[in-house]
Amino acid sequence: MSAKLERLAQTLREILGDTLQSLVNDRGEVTIEVAAADYLRVAQTLRDHADLRFEQLIDVSGLDYAAYGNGAHEGRPKRFAAAAHLLSIKHNWRLRLRAFADDDAFPVLDSLVGVWPSANWYERETFDLYGIMFSGHPDLRRILTDYGFVGHPFRKDFPVSGHVEMRYDPEAGRVVYQPVTIEPRENTPRIVREENYGDVGHG
Amino acid sequence: MSIEGVFREGFVTTSLDAVINWTRTGSLWPVTFGLACCAVEMMHSGMSRYDLDRFGIIFRASPRQSDLMIVAGTLCNKMAPALRKVYDQMPEPRWVISMGSCANGGGYYHYSYSVVRGCDRIVPVDVYVPGCPPTAEALLYGIFQLQNKIKRTNTIAR
Repeated sequence: MSAKLERLAQTLREILGDTLQSLVNDRGEVTIEVAAADYLRVAQTLRDHADLRFEQLIDVSGLDYAAYGNGAHEGRPKRFAAAAHLLSIKHNWRLRLRAFADDDAFPVLDSLVGVWPSANWYERETFDLYGIMFSGHPDLRRILTDYGFVGHPFRKDFPVSGHVEMRYDPEAGRVVYQPVTIEPRENTPRIVREENYGDVGHG
Repeated sequence: MSIEGVFREGFVTTSLDAVINWTRTGSLWPVTFGLACCAVEMMHSGMSRYDLDRFGIIFRASPRQSDLMIVAGTLCNKMAPALRKVYDQMPEPRWVISMGSCANGGGYYHYSYSVVRGCDRIVPVDVYVPGCPPTAEALLYGIFQLQNKIKRTNTIAR
C-alpha cells in the first residue's frame, strides 16, 4: 500500500466524512461506495474540491450482483450498482466510485452527465445492457443492441441465446424476428491437470 | 460459302452463352461488405500480393454497380436489415459469397443473442468459404468456385 494512495484515502475520509459507506484500498486501487442519494453530490465534490480534482471520467460500468460470489451477496439486499472510474491528472490519482441502486425492480441512479459530459454514452451503454435508469440524462436511448430490442442482456437472468432470432421473410419482404429455435448449450471447458504439465518445476 | 474464308478474315465462332459467361466471370465487381476481421483478409486478397484486379475483380462502393456481395464477417441482428437492403439494391444477375465461420453459420457467436446464425437466413448464398478467418488464398479459391458455377449457367439455351 503506497503512501500516495494512503494519502488519497485519508483525504477522502476527511472531505466526505459520513457520506462514505465504505473505502477499500486493495491491490493499489481505491474504491469508495456511497448511497444512491449521495452519488451525484459526491461526484461533484470529487471534481471540484481543491484537494481532489478528479477532472476526468474514464468509464462508467454497471454491475449485477445477482449471482455474486456463489451467494456471498446474500447479506446485501441491493442488486444493481454503477461504478465510475475517475482520474485526477493534477494529483495523479485514480479512484473508483460505486453506488447501489435502491430498487431492484426499477433501478435508478443520478446521471453524471452534468458533472462529466463523457458520461453520456457510458450511461447509455449501462442502461442498454443492465437496465439501470439514469435520471437527468439528456438522451437515455439504447446504444449497442438492435432497435426495438427487448431486455437487458448483461443481467444474470438473461439467457445467452436471447429470446428472439432473425431471418428474412420472403412474403413480408423484410427481415423479421422469430422465437429462438436452438437449445442453449452449457459449455464446460476440458481442463487438463497433470503433474509437471508444460515442464513446470523442471526448468 | 465455306467457313475457311471466314477464318482468314479473323473471325471466331462460339456460342452466345459462352461469351456471356466469359464476360460475367471476367468482371465480377463485389460490393465491399466488410463486417469484421474477415474484411482484413478480403483486403489482403485485393492488395498487390494476390491482386484481385488481374481477374477483373474491382471493389465498388455502391451496390448498384455490383454483381457480387462478399459477406465478410459477423452479421449482427442490427446489421441484417441493412445487408438485405444492400442485396436488394444490386442489379441482376447477382451472387453472394459468405466468407468465414460467422457468416456461414454464426461461428463462434452461434449461441449469442445478437448475431444472425448464418447470413443465408437473410440472403441466398452461392459459395461458402470456411475459415476463421479464411486466408486470402481461401477467398480467392472461393471466387474461382463461383466463377466455375457461373460458367455452368445457360442464359440463351435453357
